[in-house]
Amino acid sequence: MLMPKKVKHRKHHRGRMNGRAKGGTQVSYGEFGIQALEPGWITSRQIEAARIAMTRGVRRGGKVWINVFPDKPVTNKPAETRMGSGKGNPEHWVAVVKPGRVMFEMSYPDEATARVALNKAIQKLPIRARVITRESGFDD
Amino acid sequence: MKQTVVKATVGRKQGSRSSRRLRAEGQLPGVVYGLGKDPRVVAVGYNDLRDALKGAGGMNTVLSLDVEGDSEMVLVRSLDRDPLKRVVIHADFLRVDPDQRVTVSVPIEIVGEPLIVLEAGGIIEQQRFELEVEVSPINIPDVIEVDVTDLEMESRISIGDLSLPAGVTTAVPEEISLITTSYPRVEAVVEAEEGEGLEGEGVEGEEGDAEGGDAEASDDADGE
Repeated sequence: MLMPKKVKHRKHHRGRMNGRAKGGTQVSYGEFGIQALEPGWITSRQIEAARIAMTRGVRRGGKVWINVFPDKPVTNKPAETRMGSGKGNPEHWVAVVKPGRVMFEMSYPDEATARVALNKAIQKLPIRARVITRESGFDD
Repeated sequence: MKQTVVKATVGRKQGSRSSRRLRAEGQLPGVVYGLGKDPRVVAVGYNDLRDALKGAGGMNTVLSLDVEGDSEMVLVRSLDRDPLKRVVIHADFLRVDPDQRVTVSVPIEIVGEPLIVLEAGGIIEQQRFELEVEVSPINIPDVIEVDVTDLEMESRISIGDLSLPAGVTTAVPEEISLITTSYPRVEAVVEAEEGEGLEGEGVEGEEGDAEGGDAEASDDADGE
């Protein structure tokens, strides 16, 4: 699963997820992509699950790109612990995603199969998302 | 040379609010620049521009922008889109001179069936979907065709292998690949993934501890 090799700060603040994605809103590498329609935290497990869904959906070749990286640590306090005594332990890693962000890309010769695979990958994500294609003209 | 005429108006108010109002009226805010002249802020009809770019030339169609009686020969340099609605919200028009070459991106189209590759169970991968070429505005090709009929496994088609139309040159290095071939990774990948998944669980815990240890050290350092 994806995680940083080393970090400058072990625990992060939660932060805010207002607004839309500033960049990475277009399909850049492949032909199809999964675009976020809501803000959210995507965990490294969810990214991996989506990747596996995509690669299994297109058994015969194809190429997958992951455009988001889970570089934000999320902490949890152990169960049945009293409040206080500082912030919990880092438990997992998430990528902060804002609406418009293209999280995954794929290239595959058959669009119908690629769409099925991408829709299966969307099921693994905690936010609403959609499949988009590379922009090629005025109306996409 | 036949040019598609698009009517444009000048004197639109700038700013997000005014632009939003313009869009609500079916207009598209834009700007015309190039050839050392002053830029002009314009507005064009959304549907007019869409229809003008629907031809074979696509985004590289040379337009005759009728700016209140003053005709300018332009190319659409870029279109800004709303990332969620995916509609065009702004257009950049570049003034062009028929005697001066321009750099444009032309779509690459694969033609033919790579029978040798398909028989061998391979697939072709398109590495680039557009090619930047230098060409006179009146000779911009609609597409650059790449014939993959004779492509063999373990071979590739690079920029140098292309036969560009007369008067078209590219500054992209010749060795850059356009089309490559590969064998699909099928069953092996799935098995490897399952293996990885199991290993990943164990490794993750270890890494997590290691991470924690490392980070502890850095926290201490911070404290000091």
